[in-house]
Amino acid sequence: MQPERLYETWADRKEAAQSYLEAVNWPNGQTEAWKFTSLSHLSDVVLNPPKRSASLARDARLDGEVLNFTAGLAPDLAAASLPKCIIATDISADKAICHKAFALLPDNHHLTALSASRQTAAVKIEVAGPAKINTPLILQFTDGKTDEAAHPFVFIDIADGAHLHLAELHEGASSLSQPLIFVRLGQGATLDHIKLQDESDHTTHLGLTLFRLAGQANVNSFSVSKGSQITRMETHCFFAAPDAQAAMSAVYLGCDSQHHDITTVVSHEYANCSSRQLIRGVLDDKARGVFQGRVRVAPDAQKTDGQQMSRALLLSRDAEADAKPELEIFADDVVCSHGATVGELDETLLFYLKSRGIDEAEARTMLIDAFLVDTLEEISYQPFADFLRGQVSGWTARKTGVE
Amino acid sequence: MSLLEIKNLHARINDTDILHGIDLTIGRGEVHAIMGPNGSGKSTLSYVLSGRDGYEVTGGDILLDGKSVLEMEADERGRAGMFLAFQYPVELPGVGGMAFLRAAVNARLREAGKDEVDQLEFVKMVRAEAKGLGIKDDMLKRPVNVGFSGGEKKRYEILQMALLKPSLAILDETDSGLDVDALKIVSEGVNLLRSAERGMLVITHYQRLLNHIVPDQVHILAGGRIVKSGDKTLALEVEENGYAGLGDAA
Repeated sequence: MQPERLYETWADRKEAAQSYLEAVNWPNGQTEAWKFTSLSHLSDVVLNPPKRSASLARDARLDGEVLNFTAGLAPDLAAASLPKCIIATDISADKAICHKAFALLPDNHHLTALSASRQTAAVKIEVAGPAKINTPLILQFTDGKTDEAAHPFVFIDIADGAHLHLAELHEGASSLSQPLIFVRLGQGATLDHIKLQDESDHTTHLGLTLFRLAGQANVNSFSVSKGSQITRMETHCFFAAPDAQAAMSAVYLGCDSQHHDITTVVSHEYANCSSRQLIRGVLDDKARGVFQGRVRVAPDAQKTDGQQMSRALLLSRDAEADAKPELEIFADDVVCSHGATVGELDETLLFYLKSRGIDEAEARTMLIDAFLVDTLEEISYQPFADFLRGQVSGWTARKTGVE
Repeated sequence: MSLLEIKNLHARINDTDILHGIDLTIGRGEVHAIMGPNGSGKSTLSYVLSGRDGYEVTGGDILLDGKSVLEMEADERGRAGMFLAFQYPVELPGVGGMAFLRAAVNARLREAGKDEVDQLEFVKMVRAEAKGLGIKDDMLKRPVNVGFSGGEKKRYEILQMALLKPSLAILDETDSGLDVDALKIVSEGVNLLRSAERGMLVITHYQRLLNHIVPDQVHILAGGRIVKSGDKTLALEVEENGYAGLGDAA
């Protein structure tokens, strides 16, 4: 690993990011972190900054306060009716805050460099504690055009003991959608988080969500990737103090020639933290799924509990799934496990259901739903669970034709 | 018209011919037993009848209520009134037991042009049937067959049969893996389902099941053919003398 560079100002950082991007250009299979997901096609795509257009109405599928990032641009924060303990500020002009936030993010990383260099919005959201907020905060990313690139940055700071329900809904139509969401949790803070990627079929989605946890903080995160053409959904979890917990599971659903890459990076830096990841993918047609899961356990991170399991279900002979678990364990008193499987629908199970008079489509739906059900049970906040379950079963029903 | 007519049935799996011309007729209200040594084609016959993929009929016909089922998928045969109790019922993790039973019952109701069954009413219906088979509520709440003992799995098969009310029930080695007590419970369950409207084909290796489920006719299957038929005393004969020699009778 290269030593972290210190930048004096945001301008320094931005310049360094730009030269990094110029040197690397778009990564392809040559770069280890992008071994399975090449971005070389983006060289041929026109990527202009977005232009403002009318924003969509509030999302009624999920109850909550919506901040709509139209085409990757910042919402009108003055018009937002947020609860008192949530304060949202446009920090696009206040680079000192961006600078401080980015100092906590990984360097020499393509997505943080992209964001530093090309931000189209920068918003800071402060969540005060210890009041419990029941209304979820919904970050919705919509619209965008085929010649536009959206690079919104959202920095969420959850105070000690505070709690937030946060939903990221990525449903835009830009050529490139590159949202970067950084959530810093204070001492004992808790977060229920979901992320839905359902972008248009010409979009390349490169979403990065990062959690940084203080002591006793707790994150329950769940991602679903089902839209866009090429997706890299990356989630980082950095334990910056002992006794914190994170569950960050994901489901990807691929069809046609879609590419879904779920990449996670978990850094156990302190003792007595636990991370848990269940990843499930269902792939049809010529779709490809990738799971890369890196878990680092630092020498001092004793009593770490790190669990990771990925399973892919292929519905077609032309579909493909790759898994690359990477465990870097430097402590000796830890419990860490990982596993990866790829399989097809079991013909015997299908026959059992059909022999009971259940038709092929319904039988397949039952088996696909069964494959995903225990993963979806990881979601602790019920309205989020219901919402994503609906997204997943809608996809399955369309896929098998029972709808 | 007979319930089931198997006419000169030939079938193969993976290019290996297994059934070499089976003729068998089962009338409504009749229970027929098929006995045979390992590898005689018993399980193949049950899969061919119920339409499992990979089992290719190369000659002959299978008529259910006078209608050929050869072009029908397994699920269509199920809705047409066929039921296969599996020798090894499969576990379906993630598939809720009640949802599964209801999907099966509703599929049949839809086929008959009837309304689907109300959820509460269905739960009552299942509980009533389950009680007689010694199936506890806890078992009904679990995913299909997951964590069930061998005996519980077989009882669950009979529960499905009771709910689906098939016109033809095929019981594939229902006695395998059962101890004496479990065998008794399962057999009692099956006997309760004997009716003038229903035919049964009981496939077994051993005679002991037929002490509990007493057949009207017994057929000996060997080398993919029925080599001998008779009444229930034929089963006792096999018990006494084994299958040796019966294959040569063909």
